[in-house]
Amino acid sequence: MGDPLLRRYDHDQRGAAEELAIRQAELVAALVGGAADPPGFDVERLDATRRALLRKRAGEAAKVWPMLAASFEKKWPAVFGEHRSGHPPVGALRDGWDVALALREAGRLTPDAADELAAQEADLRYDGVSAPTPRRWRRLRHTVFRRGRA
Amino acid sequence: MVPIVGAVPELAGLGAGWRPEISGWVADRPGLGFCEVIAESLAPAVPPRGVVELRERGTAVVPHGIRLSLGGTDPLDPARVTHLAACATALQAPVVSEHIAFCGAGGLEAGHLLPVPRTRAALDVLAANVRRTQADLDVPLALEPIASFLDWPDDEFTEADFLTELVERTGALLLLDIANVYANAVNRDRDPRTALDRMPLSRIAYVHIAGGAEHVDDPGIYHDTHVDPVPEPVLTLLTELVDRIGGAPPVMLERDGRYPPAAELTAELDRIAAAAGLITTAR
Repeated sequence: MGDPLLRRYDHDQRGAAEELAIRQAELVAALVGGAADPPGFDVERLDATRRALLRKRAGEAAKVWPMLAASFEKKWPAVFGEHRSGHPPVGALRDGWDVALALREAGRLTPDAADELAAQEADLRYDGVSAPTPRRWRRLRHTVFRRGRA
Repeated sequence: MVPIVGAVPELAGLGAGWRPEISGWVADRPGLGFCEVIAESLAPAVPPRGVVELRERGTAVVPHGIRLSLGGTDPLDPARVTHLAACATALQAPVVSEHIAFCGAGGLEAGHLLPVPRTRAALDVLAANVRRTQADLDVPLALEPIASFLDWPDDEFTEADFLTELVERTGALLLLDIANVYANAVNRDRDPRTALDRMPLSRIAYVHIAGGAEHVDDPGIYHDTHVDPVPEPVLTLLTELVDRIGGAPPVMLERDGRYPPAAELTAELDRIAAAAGLITTAR
């Protein structure tokens, strides 16, 4: 422990790990967070990686939002990318939900996709920034109210 | 060539990735030697019925982790490690597997597996995380090199050398994805056979094979999609691997979406069996 050589090694190793942590965070922020490209990477390959990550997320969101995805057919990955590019993944449910809300705002939801969004909104409360939660309070109030009347 | 006696004797022959969408096909496929299930999709206390039935029939099931982020500098999530170990116990798995990759950093998730730089520092991080994971497991851990067309400017090692050093330092086995070897080579204008030559093939636990294709948005890049058929050159590379190790390793098809009809999946598995020199028991 008192060996200065060993201490220096520990310090170097820790320094290298910290440097790696920064580099990894820079890469992820550039790939999914809209941050600037980190230096030294092939710019085209970074772009292709960004697109591949978005396509993967679009596929996962399609499983949770089948009507929404189906309403755009083959254009779904592009529509998804249009809305989620630069936004870090927040899970398939929220990723798709954010796209659905933006499309409803723009009047671009088909009736089936609108029904799907309405069904999610009836079951879950979503504030747009954190994980959706079950609307238990509504159910609870409903139950208490009914029991009170009985 | 020294023939490899399977590093995991319980695994042999042909396998398939068990997915809910194709569970019927997996169950009906005669002579399936083993299958793999995504650890993150599994509740160890209540595995899917199809998986339990395969186990009861004596088919080995391997939990395959996809979110452990072994190459990440963020601290390893102990709950994920515990979950992987619990999956192995619940399925009496002979081995578990994870990727040489990281899934996020600095509080952001990437949404998929990202390559680590092939540096001394990344090796140290990986080796430490692998050892921590192994400490919780009662069975061997097999590590899978990912498909990636993105290179870090910092790379100090070739992929094969990096991998060899990692398995030597940790004693981990190798889950070799032959389609990843193909993708990584062709996306860098290299010969996949040369890449294969330098891999630590004696540590193979089992082999993945999957389909891929170019995407219209990215001409010149082969994407390892898992939703396309397995292309002929990937099957040829599997044959090359079998030649090098002196026999067929346990080899399984990974299909993760755009599922074709059962007959097509069966035909694809038959082509894999033929490329590996395995006799298929399917009619």
